[in-house]
Amino acid sequence: MQKLSSDAPGWNAVRSLVGSPFNAVLTVIFAVILFLALPPFLTWAVFDAAVFPAVPETCRTAAGACWSFIVAKHSQILFGIYPFDERWRPLLVCTLLIGLLVYSIRPSAWRARLAGFWIVALMLSWGLMRGGFAGLASVSTDNWGGLPVTLLLTVVAIGIGFPTGILLALARRSDLPVIRLLSTLFIELTRALPLLSILFIASIMLPLLVPEDLLPDKFSRAVIALTMFASAYLAEVVRGGLQALPKGQAEAAQALGLSYWQCQLKVILPQAIAVVIPALTNTIIVMIKNTSLVLVIGLFDLISSGKAALADPEWSSPSVEVYLFITAIYFTLCFGFSRFADRLEQRAKGPSHE
Amino acid sequence: MNRTQRNLAYQAAALLLVFGAVALVVATASANLADRGIELGTEFLGDRAGFTLSESWLPYSPEDSNLWAIAAGIVNTLVISLFVAFFATFIGTGLGILRLSENALAKSFARSWVEIARNSPPILLLLFLYSFLGQVLPVADVVEPIQGVYLSLRGLAIPALDLQGMGWSVTGGVLLTLIGIGSVAKATASRQRETGLCPPWVKWAIAASALLWLLIIVLLLAPSASVELPKANGPDIVGGFILSPEFFTLITGLTFYTSGFVAEIVRTGLQSVTRGQWEAAYALGLSRGRTLRLVVIPQMLRVIIPPMTSQYINIVKNSTLVIAIGYADFMVVTGTVINKTSHAIEGTVIIIAVYLAINLSLSALMNQVNRRVQQGVG
Repeated sequence: MQKLSSDAPGWNAVRSLVGSPFNAVLTVIFAVILFLALPPFLTWAVFDAAVFPAVPETCRTAAGACWSFIVAKHSQILFGIYPFDERWRPLLVCTLLIGLLVYSIRPSAWRARLAGFWIVALMLSWGLMRGGFAGLASVSTDNWGGLPVTLLLTVVAIGIGFPTGILLALARRSDLPVIRLLSTLFIELTRALPLLSILFIASIMLPLLVPEDLLPDKFSRAVIALTMFASAYLAEVVRGGLQALPKGQAEAAQALGLSYWQCQLKVILPQAIAVVIPALTNTIIVMIKNTSLVLVIGLFDLISSGKAALADPEWSSPSVEVYLFITAIYFTLCFGFSRFADRLEQRAKGPSHE
Repeated sequence: MNRTQRNLAYQAAALLLVFGAVALVVATASANLADRGIELGTEFLGDRAGFTLSESWLPYSPEDSNLWAIAAGIVNTLVISLFVAFFATFIGTGLGILRLSENALAKSFARSWVEIARNSPPILLLLFLYSFLGQVLPVADVVEPIQGVYLSLRGLAIPALDLQGMGWSVTGGVLLTLIGIGSVAKATASRQRETGLCPPWVKWAIAASALLWLLIIVLLLAPSASVELPKANGPDIVGGFILSPEFFTLITGLTFYTSGFVAEIVRTGLQSVTRGQWEAAYALGLSRGRTLRLVVIPQMLRVIIPPMTSQYINIVKNSTLVIAIGYADFMVVTGTVINKTSHAIEGTVIIIAVYLAINLSLSALMNQVNRRVQQGVG
């Protein structure tokens, strides 16, 4: 355990692999695993794979992966049945949303104007997707699909869910018993149910429970269910931050004569939220992954558009490749986001740890 | 208006708002129900279900009632969750330890596993794995890789132990044995705490009585039990125990996903026990094994148990994703019943009640464990 390290980096690597008998055994085990798994995978994914030209015939003759399908259909998988000539619009929306998401996790960006940016970005996204003005062809929400739907659902659910979650967290810690009870009931009930059952209940119950004129369409139903879900989870995250603050903060603010809301907005919340940033990024990643579930209520997200692309009878339906491609998209989004958040956290902590 | 009055007014307003919303919903719902000629009630639960389930751990046929179908769905959900919880705990713990290993190869293997598992949507893992199995399984025929073991599109068939209806008594016997051993061990432990004495023969006595029990069970069963071999019947397999591709996919996929999270929890737990604890235990003359068992693991469990509780609850929630590959879990079955009978409101109440019951009992159980761990007993 306590070996002094020699300076040569190459030597360290060697020692980490065969430094002790136990390490040597581990090395052998994992080398065997790699040896058994990697060559067949590479043969399938790279050496025997069919890529160009991107036509069905290429795949019929190849023994490996059919990447030609992805090359030929990537725009349908990414953007669903959005009209072909208009696809620069969802592309622009995706770029805009991802860019703003990355911009927003930097604490230095947290000014009042960030909320303004988001409202403008969302209105712009909606306008671009929907069209019908300034010479843009109108596209109904039924024709939306793929990545922009996934991103819009995530962003709207978190955007509405975060302020709601803060209110719920404050309500759960409130002195007023009725408010506390209602908030606790909502949070615990939502957290006890699987998201899928909430989506399912929203899709079968809303037509029964809500007057027909007020009935939201499929997209809005998904947004409502996802927002409920996000707000309950975000509320618990924020509550964790509120509990971490010493009581003196609230008492000092009160002694200064601040009102309840002034105290929360100016003293408590800024500190509480700063404490829980890692947990917040985790919840955002969970929400990105969760949007994949709207497939179940028939909304046209990435998975559904991938499935629709697979239905083309010309091709030999390479479903493994398509699911791998979609998983890769989600992975890039989630992993990239968590790495970026980690780096910010490390920088905030200072360089000296570990 | 003073502060108390204002607070009362706020709460009254909140209550009014909630009641108003509930009243509106109830009014609309009853109008809608009347329009469609549906009456609230639980009679539909007794009606003939009339649909098949892809798989069921309870004996089920379409002639059974809706209630029995839902019960079969609940059992399926619980079985999946148990399997996934079991495998994910073991594999995740292994990965968590590997992540702290000195070995670069092992460390990066665990690291990649954890990152891929945590950053992919579980539903996609299931879809991917399922379509992968669909491509590698033999399509129109049955393959027999080992004598008595068959592989086909329907899954993997292995010889089954046929206990002639004695399965329940065996399970009961094993459970009784375990409870017996547990209570003796507990009594001995508390005696040791009070008196400082632990008679050395106790361990042997426990082991001997357990063996005796098992021997009795085996002797009782041996005459009536038999091994049922699967047989290929054209493209079909008859008899034996069949592991379906769906079941295999959902256990593997959900285990892979959850193990990534368990690994991170275990790693944090291990790192929370400082090196000084190890050194102090060694200085007291404890061996490596006893240090682990008496010093490190109890402290680690304190950190691990609360997040593990939420992982176990997440497993139950994630088990709903099996809908993507057409496995009949509780949600799927209840959804089918709702679609067939249009008793949406009752169905929703059942869904909420069942998940609440499962998750609340799970957290009650884990809280019990947690209380013991936090007190340092056990």
